Amino acid sequence: MKRLLLVGAALALVATTNVQAGPREDIVALLMAEASAEDAAFAGFSGERGQILFSSNFNTGKPETPSCTSCHSTSPQNMGETRAGKPIEPIAVSKTPERFTDPEKVEKWFRRNCRSVIGRECTALEKGDFITYMMSQ
Amino acid sequence: MPAPKLPSTPTLRVWDLPTRLYHWIQVVLVALALGLGFFAPEWLLNQHVVIGFALVGLILFRLVWGFFGSYYSRFSSFVPTPGRLRAHFSGILNKQSAPAGGHELGHNPVGALMVFGLIFVLGAITITGIVTLGGVENWGPLAGFVDFSTGDRARAVHLALAYVLVVMIVAHIAGVFAESQRSRTSLVRAMVTGDKELPKGRTFGQPDGAKKGAALVSLAGLGGLAGVLFYLGVQVPASGFIQMAEMDDFKSECSDCHELYHPSLLPEESWTLMMAGLEDHFGEDASLSQDTTLAIGTYLERYASEAWDSEAANRLRVVDPEKPMQISASPFWKENHAQIPEEVFKTRPVRGTGNCKACHGDAESGRFDDSKISIPEPTPERES
Ligand code: HEC
Ligand code: HEC
Ligand code: HEC
Repeated sequence: MKRLLLVGAALALVATTNVQAGPREDIVALLMAEASAEDAAFAGFSGERGQILFSSNFNTGKPETPSCTSCHSTSPQNMGETRAGKPIEPIAVSKTPERFTDPEKVEKWFRRNCRSVIGRECTALEKGDFITYMMSQ
Repeated sequence: MPAPKLPSTPTLRVWDLPTRLYHWIQVVLVALALGLGFFAPEWLLNQHVVIGFALVGLILFRLVWGFFGSYYSRFSSFVPTPGRLRAHFSGILNKQSAPAGGHELGHNPVGALMVFGLIFVLGAITITGIVTLGGVENWGPLAGFVDFSTGDRARAVHLALAYVLVVMIVAHIAGVFAESQRSRTSLVRAMVTGDKELPKGRTFGQPDGAKKGAALVSLAGLGGLAGVLFYLGVQVPASGFIQMAEMDDFKSECSDCHELYHPSLLPEESWTLMMAGLEDHFGEDASLSQDTTLAIGTYLERYASEAWDSEAANRLRVVDPEKPMQISASPFWKENHAQIPEEVFKTRPVRGTGNCKACHGDAESGRFDDSKISIPEPTPERES
């Protein structure tokens, strides 16, 4: 019951803090619900933690990709590049407005990239932090 | 004081203008075709082929002119019968100076042998060339009729005949100079001016001229027939390629990290292996949902290299057993790209051996035509 309340509160928070609700906000709201379900002490996403996630060298995943920056370049605002040399549009929302608007796409790439870089899937908290950081960029 | 007018040696028009033009155009075209064939990079294949078709036209003309040209151009005037050959050789052995007989104003019997030989070998080269073009490259009038292995065998014959042709050309030139010495006339000049000096004390009637009308009609007929056959041939779809259904999931999911590879570039077994291990795809997680993985896998297996008879599919079917999923590790790929400087693959815009599209303009279609190859200039790293 307490959880459900929290989810409700999170959703309400999203609804009030974001003037225009959209697919991205829906994705964040769902992640919030998931995060609070994973950890009762969840108290919102943090762009700072997102930044750390983005730029940390994990070295726990595949050796070719120690960090998110291996492909997304060191600044979210810059063009990135896959290992095969294909350009990646900037991951920052200000530069690429379509970012984090397709739930399936977001899910697919978090699954793949977190496994490649960290060696495990990301938690809802990490995903929410990451998106929050990118929305501020 | 003006020099006294010497009575000029009487000359005879031996080579008519069409024969001379034929000869010298052929010299130029054969030189170009050989040069391009032996030395030019693959992407000049089209130029080589166009010259080849021009030579087909030239040979057709020569065949017609061999029947309707003026006397010395007609095949019947220089058939190298054993009798003539014997007489010619005994003439040489007895150190007689040529010409010994009237027919030697035209081609002597050895020269005639060479003329027939050159026309035959050149004809065979163009035919094997068209078979190669159709079978291996899947282009031209035979693209719909010749399979890859036949084309590949024709290519070997085409190459062998080209070497034979080079030897014949050397012999032909040597023969011309030897005979010029022996007969104390420049055969080269005669092929330019058309005239040969008449041997002293012998008279020749003016040889009968060409049957221009008959020549024109037969040439138009033969040319028209060749044109129609060519036209009909190129309408037939190339046999190396099959109709491939489009698949949106394959197109989008397999082009996120690199260009979309054509399914014909790897054998079925390689695709099966690849789709079973997307969690570790060349050191990266490229996993997809189970349904999508299955659907793309089925699609790739269906259109794997075994289903095609194109050059790329045939060549790339043999993979490196150590790296069966990497096209650019296959023996054919490595051999064919060995000449390209390492630097090109390391810098933009190529950036890696897997970026086929950077050099092969038609990579997406799986054709990999020679004429679509161009290695881009390495550009300095762009600022990020
Ligand atoms: C091996 C290269 C690579 C690495 C490393 C990488 N990414 Fe990505 N990422 C991609 C590619 C390629 C795409 C899809 C192309 C695009 O969206 O422009 C993508 C897309 C994404 C998306 C989807 C964005 C959207 O538009 O919805 C997310 C989320 C993402 N990456 C997160 C991460 C995180 C988090 C990390 C570090 C843990 C990371 N990536 C590391 C290559 C990489
Ligand atoms: C997450 C990124 C990613 C996705 C998605 C992906 N690939 Fe790859 N693929 C790679 C990387 C990285 C390489 C190695 C490139 C290199 O070494 O230059 C590669 C290499 C290949 C190669 C070998 C190319 C060569 O150099 O010979 C093939 C074939 C291939 N991928 C097919 C596929 C297919 C089919 C799919 C769709 C099911 C797919 N890839 C999806 C990242 C990806
Ligand atoms: C740096 C440029 C470059 C890249 C990248 C490249 N190629 Fe090539 N490729 C060439 C050149 C040049 C040739 C002609 C080589 C020769 O002289 O025979 C060639 C020849 C070929 C041929 C033979 C074509 C023919 O008609 O003779 C095939 C097939 C081929 N490449 C496939 C590939 C594939 C598949 C890839 C990607 C995995 C690839 N190439 C990547 C430059 C490139």
